[in-house]
Amino acid sequence: MKFKVRLVLVSLIVIIMFLLHNSFWLWELDDKVPFLFGFMPFAFSYYVGYAILAVLAMKLIISLAWPDPTEEVVESFTDGKRTEQ
Amino acid sequence: MTSAFGIGILIIYIAILIVIGAYGARVTLKTREDYFLAGRGLGSIAVFMALFASNITAFTIIGHAGLAYQVGYGAYGYVIGWSIFITPFTYYLVGYRSWLLGKRYGYATQPQVFGGIFNSRLVGLIFTILLLYYTLPYLVVSIIGGSLAFTTISEGAVPYWLASMLIIGISLIYTIPAGLRGTVWTDIFQGTIFLVVAVLLLFAVARSLGGFAEITGRIMVNNPAMLQRSLSPEIAPINWFSFTFVNSIAVIVFPQMYIRILAAKSSRNLKRVSLYYPLALAGIFGISTLLGVWGSVAVPGLVGKDADYIVPMLIQQYLSPVWTILGLVVILAIVKSSIDSQLLSVSHLVTVDLLPWFRRVNTGQAVMWGRMLLVIFAAVAYYIALVRPAAILNIAAFAFSGFSVMLPVMIGALYWPRATKHAAIAALIIPAIMLHFWYLGLLPASTTFGFMPVFPAFILTILILVIGSYLTPAPSPEQKEKTFGLFKQVFK
Repeated sequence: MKFKVRLVLVSLIVIIMFLLHNSFWLWELDDKVPFLFGFMPFAFSYYVGYAILAVLAMKLIISLAWPDPTEEVVESFTDGKRTEQ
Repeated sequence: MTSAFGIGILIIYIAILIVIGAYGARVTLKTREDYFLAGRGLGSIAVFMALFASNITAFTIIGHAGLAYQVGYGAYGYVIGWSIFITPFTYYLVGYRSWLLGKRYGYATQPQVFGGIFNSRLVGLIFTILLLYYTLPYLVVSIIGGSLAFTTISEGAVPYWLASMLIIGISLIYTIPAGLRGTVWTDIFQGTIFLVVAVLLLFAVARSLGGFAEITGRIMVNNPAMLQRSLSPEIAPINWFSFTFVNSIAVIVFPQMYIRILAAKSSRNLKRVSLYYPLALAGIFGISTLLGVWGSVAVPGLVGKDADYIVPMLIQQYLSPVWTILGLVVILAIVKSSIDSQLLSVSHLVTVDLLPWFRRVNTGQAVMWGRMLLVIFAAVAYYIALVRPAAILNIAAFAFSGFSVMLPVMIGALYWPRATKHAAIAALIIPAIMLHFWYLGLLPASTTFGFMPVFPAFILTILILVIGSYLTPAPSPEQKEKTFGLFKQVFK
């Protein structure tokens, strides 16, 4: 898969996460959904789920578009030695 | 409060910080890279704790719990919801590419990275000025918030002036000798303390209020509005939407956060950090939210700023005096772990990005200057925290927005080869001026179309960068190759 296509997929993930955060249409459920573990109302438990989803989203983004630098690139790193004068 | 046990805990806590600082000083070389960037050798846990502890300020347990007290469970999603995902995402979006450039070219700060990409010292200078301009008031406000909390939780036994002095003084003990290494090691220690104590505190408060289900039941009976976001005008959808452009995306722009990303040893460390971050952020703010909401029925009747101190009040009214000491340690840990990193980053910025405009500074002198500037900035911040001038507090009120509107320029520089230095300069300056006009009331509120000023300013930044780049000469192929040639080698 071309890197640009991967970036498009990453953008889609970001848009989905943005929409899930700004999901005002779900606010109606605030007093209708049963409490999670008996003490987390929907306005709270939603973001517990969102946090787990965020980890999965980051995992997907890492596998899609976060390559480690190659050996060749790593060898080109100066690590600031050039500026240490 | 004055029990021998309590004082003993405080002494042990401070002694551990001093030992960490002393050991950090022994292993820290007197070079710019080692003092300010820990030799770019931070592992996953070190980077994670350094970023997380710097990110968590007194606001987490003071301001945020106060908001939850007033608006209910909705405060959780409003303040931190979008951050849970977007903050670690920006570590990828901006952090990783900046880290690559830092590793290749030795860049150590935003002014160096973005001045380097645009091949413009002026871009670097504007970055330096804006970052200092927003960070210093934010630093002072952190000290004020932490000191007030310290004074409140100690029931006045530690006066405000002494609390500020303690917070700043203890931070300097390990930051001056050991630089970034000292702050990161203490972040690991302090971050662990406040995470562990915060969890214990939640269970202790829940127990003293009759249990999780019992206190939730009381909220349903006495204050059911806390459950419904649509009943709180403060978090109305237009504010909720606008707020996604305030704190969440500002974090990567904070110099203390950005510099710590550049100090990571490898790409894998940054990846792990971005996976740990959502749960840690959700966890600590979740605890703060629950304590704030529970406080609304346990300590009812607090209005306005008084609600900010709901967590110290819960500790005083419902828990044993030992918890007061633990609360003080947590306040110290949270406040200092952000203040030390802010102090170090401003002295770093001045040493490597501002001083060279006036004099040549070699690597050994840079460490000496860094240490001197730490003391100077600490003294100035202490004085301002005592005087609390309105002008500084006004700037701090929109410092987050100021950081946020710099982000499009950073993203444009890292992703769009056509972005030009002229457009970047305009896109940094004009929205910053507009923010001042809006926040200081020099422009009518109607010009933000009902949004918080940060949203139109953010859009303005993007427009200026894009239009300005097409209207001005494109960067030379050599200039583009320097940045994007590296990216092409990595992102295939």
